[in-house]
Amino acid sequence: MAAELLRESFEIQGRNFDKAGEVSGEIKVILRDLGIDPANLRRVVIVAYEGEMNVVMYANRATLTLILTDEDVNLEIVDEGPGIPDIELALQEGWSTASDEMRELGFGFGMGLPNMKKNSDEFRIESEVGKGTSVFAKIRLNSNA
Amino acid sequence: MLELKHGFKIDADKCNGRMSCMRACPTHAIRVKNGKARLIPELCIDCGSCLGVCSTGAIYATTITFAELDRFKFKVAVASPALFSQFGMKDTPAQVGRALLDLGFDAVWEYAVDIELIDRAITDCVKTWPGPFPLISDACPVVVRLIQVAYPSLVEHIVPIDAPREVAGRELKRRYSQELGLKPDEIAAIYITPCQAKTISILQPAEETKSYLDGAVGISQIYNNILSKMRKNTNTREIAGDLVSSSELLHWGAPEGEFPSLSREHYLPLTGLTDIMKVFNDVEKGKIRNIEFLECHACQGGCVGGNLTVENLYVARSKNLHLSASMPKPGPDFEEEVKRRYAIEDFSLRSSIKPRPIEGEVLDLRERVARRKRADELLRGLPLLNCGLCGAPTCKNHAEDVAALRADISDCVFLSRDRIDALRQIYKK
Repeated sequence: MAAELLRESFEIQGRNFDKAGEVSGEIKVILRDLGIDPANLRRVVIVAYEGEMNVVMYANRATLTLILTDEDVNLEIVDEGPGIPDIELALQEGWSTASDEMRELGFGFGMGLPNMKKNSDEFRIESEVGKGTSVFAKIRLNSNA
Repeated sequence: MLELKHGFKIDADKCNGRMSCMRACPTHAIRVKNGKARLIPELCIDCGSCLGVCSTGAIYATTITFAELDRFKFKVAVASPALFSQFGMKDTPAQVGRALLDLGFDAVWEYAVDIELIDRAITDCVKTWPGPFPLISDACPVVVRLIQVAYPSLVEHIVPIDAPREVAGRELKRRYSQELGLKPDEIAAIYITPCQAKTISILQPAEETKSYLDGAVGISQIYNNILSKMRKNTNTREIAGDLVSSSELLHWGAPEGEFPSLSREHYLPLTGLTDIMKVFNDVEKGKIRNIEFLECHACQGGCVGGNLTVENLYVARSKNLHLSASMPKPGPDFEEEVKRRYAIEDFSLRSSIKPRPIEGEVLDLRERVARRKRADELLRGLPLLNCGLCGAPTCKNHAEDVAALRADISDCVFLSRDRIDALRQIYKK
């Protein structure tokens, strides 16, 4: 069992496009200053950013928790939002329920969840329609790092 | 770890400890302890912000002097195009080139060819690059160092093509050693630089190889000499008619002119560290799509705004435009030479650029997390006013310094009354 070294939580506001990306920016600075190797850092930042954007686009609010152990980086994003009726479908590239308005802003091309999955070593979604969605992602640190 | 060199030095005798440099430094690399500024070398990216704000001249660029050039048998100037925009509207690049010869250089290199070659090499590289995108230009040494220090995950985005000044140094040594029967190390390739950052890229290239150039002379360092030679108009030496005659030579200094062959839609020219950092933050998140190339200059306005230039940026740019418009298009000889060299030379970076380890010492992840937690705890006891009186630019930096055992928490005036008395002693007139 990996020993937990650090746990920090961040609040994300839904539909606040102005502040979108700030939380993933903070996570990047924390992990960079801790000397996480660049390739893994990059994956973490992409997963955090895509997760944050999903909350901003679809949910009311969410808590993103960063958990660092001596073996991996874990991101948990628990939101209050509409939920996902068909998770398998949501994970297909190009599937999107984004509005035209969101697409005009350059989001909602159906790459968010697939991209998160691609950049994670373990990835899991739990969702209840009408209540919210929880996303868990694990990025393993290289043993030689 | 290799000792890091920097393009400037701090003269402790001249430093009056007024902290302007510490407050101006974008990477928080300066501390002022006991009334004297000092550098944390691992954090410094050689942007030169400190140089510009130092009121006593204690911080100075480590350029070379003419006396140091005497050990070479043949001295060649590679002039940054920014040089030619520093003089009057009627002063032509040819006159500036002649003044350089009068000052003791044996030749002025036709640098426009190298600039054109790298423009082509980069354009071709962008076309065949498998990713990740966007590629980031490496001509500005500050940008490369910023990536190494603050954006380690972007090192793979740095375009793997050498800077034109390096390609110029290599070719001029090859050519003159052949023509004059000299050894390459008897020939000096001297860059006339608009900033101190390019000096450091010669002293210690980011990719950990040896530079083809032998040193740099700041524009401001020889400005007066050039001006007086031009005004005296001493035509002591014969000069080739085609010397510094092409308008391509003037492209390098202006940001938009750097890569004329790249498609406008997929290419962003960026100037100024603040704006560059904003875009880099977005690149890290994967937010920048459909952009193939970022051309980055740390100085606002590009190299004509460098901290060793003399003329103000806006006048220099206007002069630059004027020169570009009034000079003849490069002739067929120029095109021939570019074609000939492009076919035979390799322009790739000689080795890859790696992130710079921030910690001087090696710590494992557990210890780094423990240190961070300690810094967070300490920060809660600090006033968050960022007054700087402890000698660190922000309370956060002070907390980190204490956690890393680089400073004493009681240096904060809010935690220790004695500190005020100590400062009074240090700053007593």
